[in-house]
Amino acid sequence: MNKKIYQLIIVCLTLCLPSVVLAENVETIIAKHIKAHGGLEKWNKVETLKITGRFTGFSIEKDYMAYKTRTGEYYADLQLGKHKVIEAFDGKTGWTIDPWLELNYARRINSSEENVFAQKAEFTTPFFNYKEKGHQVEFVGKEKCEGLDVFVLKLTRNNGKIEKWYLDAKTFLEYKCESRWVDFTSELPSEVYFDDFRTVEGLVIPFFVERTFWQRDRVLEVKNIEINPDFDRNLIEMPKRKEIKKLAFMKGAWDVKIESVGRDGKWRTTGQTVSNFEFTSTNILQQKIKLEAMFPMNMTVSYTYNETSGKYKIALLDDLSSSFEVYEGDFADQNFIFHNLQEKASVSTQFTLNNTSNNEFILTKKDSKDQGKTWTNSQKFTYTRSK
Amino acid sequence: MTKQTIFSSLLALFLALQVSFSFAQNSEDWKQFRGPARSGISSESISDNKISDPAPELVWKKKIGCAFSEITVSEDKLYTMLSEKKDSTSGWEYTAAFDAKSGKELWRNKIDSIFIDRDDFGDGPRATPVIGEKYIFSFSSYGKLTAHSKTDGKQIWQVDFMAEFGSTLPRWGFSTSPVLVDGVLVIEAGGTEERAFVAFDQNTGKLLWAKGKGNSSYCSPLVAKIDGQKQIIFANGKTLSSYNSKGETLWTYTMKMNSPTAMPTLVDGNKIFISAIRSSGFIVVEVKNNQVTELLKAPTMKNDYSSTLYYDGHFYGFNVAALQCVSAETGEKKWTKRGFGKGSLILVGDKLLVLSDKGQMIQVKATPTAYTEQRRFQALIGKSWTAPSFVKGKVYMRNQTEMACYKFN
Repeated sequence: MNKKIYQLIIVCLTLCLPSVVLAENVETIIAKHIKAHGGLEKWNKVETLKITGRFTGFSIEKDYMAYKTRTGEYYADLQLGKHKVIEAFDGKTGWTIDPWLELNYARRINSSEENVFAQKAEFTTPFFNYKEKGHQVEFVGKEKCEGLDVFVLKLTRNNGKIEKWYLDAKTFLEYKCESRWVDFTSELPSEVYFDDFRTVEGLVIPFFVERTFWQRDRVLEVKNIEINPDFDRNLIEMPKRKEIKKLAFMKGAWDVKIESVGRDGKWRTTGQTVSNFEFTSTNILQQKIKLEAMFPMNMTVSYTYNETSGKYKIALLDDLSSSFEVYEGDFADQNFIFHNLQEKASVSTQFTLNNTSNNEFILTKKDSKDQGKTWTNSQKFTYTRSK
Repeated sequence: MTKQTIFSSLLALFLALQVSFSFAQNSEDWKQFRGPARSGISSESISDNKISDPAPELVWKKKIGCAFSEITVSEDKLYTMLSEKKDSTSGWEYTAAFDAKSGKELWRNKIDSIFIDRDDFGDGPRATPVIGEKYIFSFSSYGKLTAHSKTDGKQIWQVDFMAEFGSTLPRWGFSTSPVLVDGVLVIEAGGTEERAFVAFDQNTGKLLWAKGKGNSSYCSPLVAKIDGQKQIIFANGKTLSSYNSKGETLWTYTMKMNSPTAMPTLVDGNKIFISAIRSSGFIVVEVKNNQVTELLKAPTMKNDYSSTLYYDGHFYGFNVAALQCVSAETGEKKWTKRGFGKGSLILVGDKLLVLSDKGQMIQVKATPTAYTEQRRFQALIGKSWTAPSFVKGKVYMRNQTEMACYKFN
């Protein structure tokens, strides 16, 4: 019996030992990797990096600039071929202006791009404080990679994406990484190679990074790295489209006086309410307003700009009738005028927005029974900024 | 004059004659895309002597209008294509001749409207002219095949492929380079109604035959003598097909890869290396009695537009943007070297001359043992996607803005 227990213990130990050894290997390798980069203590003092250099895409070399922060933020300004590309990431999500996708304004990035931006936001490799970040690392083995002895580590990011890192077995610095990348918003595999490691204030950083994915080849040659420069976090905020910015005067909370045209043709006050305008996207200014003519209703009005038509589109949705109306319009001198003439309804409606000051604007509603030939005042909404 | 002086003079004269004789014996003109045998290989050699200066002697350098065409060389004259813009949306494409010794332009002939790339990847012609006995044959980006007099560039005849064959303009312009086989001018047309590949009487431009299905691709035909027969081999879409100069179909083969851009490479007489950047790697097929079988496939050496070389049992070429040496027998990677971008390469003797996409020329020993760099110098300024040419000890190279000649030996 004792012999059997003893044998069982031996078997258990034999089964557990490799994983114990491997776990030690992972930690040892990562520790040496971090030390090769200058050590955790030095890196933990870095709040921001500013990287400037030259970026090559389509064999065209142009200037490159990026900021990266400890909290995972990233901002880059680069030229890719003939287009300037801006990228920004707040650690979770981000936006980009990438004219290669035929969009000249900022758009949100998709989840595949979020994974890419998270990689771009790393100071060096994701092994620094990887457990706190929620990543998992496994030791795959020791291999030869293009004639170089390397330790291969499999890293599973906190988002589930898997990467394979090849660390030089002599220097413990990264040689190669296979990870998921993106081309024209679609995810695909990529390889990235690191070279020309230099020391900047005790921190060892690759100054040559070449990535290939599909048929693409992208090279970053770093010229200068600043440690802890000033960083304007406003850069991370998604910019509004320039056309929708013209409506920014409406942003905020307002008291609204409602007037209607009486039988005498004069304006008379018929109600009072409140309204709020917020930018919900780079191209949407959204208004919430509660009206109570006969029945109470909550109305949501979304102002946006349509590049194709070159006009603003305004969508009105109320929760009483669940009707959805679409208007289009543009600025005419100092007024912003929008209508639904395109619906060719028996009664068309036009709104004219007159911005009288920073703290007040007036929205006048008019109706037409002759397809816009003549308009008759019907309601007036005077917005006064709430205190 | 002492006996020693006479002897030294005679020895010097003898050695000089040896060198020039050696050139006369081994030097071949570079008359077509990828040079003699369309292999990218010159039979000349580059000395193994210790290199005192990384940059060889610059013979001349000059500005040239935008194009991707290689430089063809014959009888001390260079022929290539170029373009000039009139304004932001128009201009012309030309075939031009230059003096090889001085780079001086001898003539140019306007052949077509300029192709202006909407994404600024590069304007102007893409194809490389081929030098015939009497005429030069060029192919414009908008698909006009033109024969020019060698002496003054005067146009002899021209065929408009879009009008004549219903060919569709590829996204980046017509790029395939024509070839002369048994006196017949052959080129890919991408025409409708089974006129993908066409052949012309080189003197008159008369259509001799049209065969095959497929749209215009960016790939140029390979010419090889297989089973005692000269074969013109096209890689178009997913089909590898072979014709003789009479237009008879010799064989066709369905490739697993699609639309190679780099020209296939001939290996050991009857094997063909094919690669495409959007594929999983390369394949080697063997042609025997007009039957084609796959011999090897490997997950590397994905060529974009730069063609791979075959030398002494190994492939040398670009896997996307990394220069590699790969065993032609096993597909095993022997070495990889990065830093050239999407460069190009030729072989002179046992030396690779690699031109990086930023205009650096690097001389590398063509050996599978290890990457062995011998010299490196900035040859051209700017984006350089055109492979160089090598004739009589000199390398000729160009990019979209300049052209240069360096003396190696």
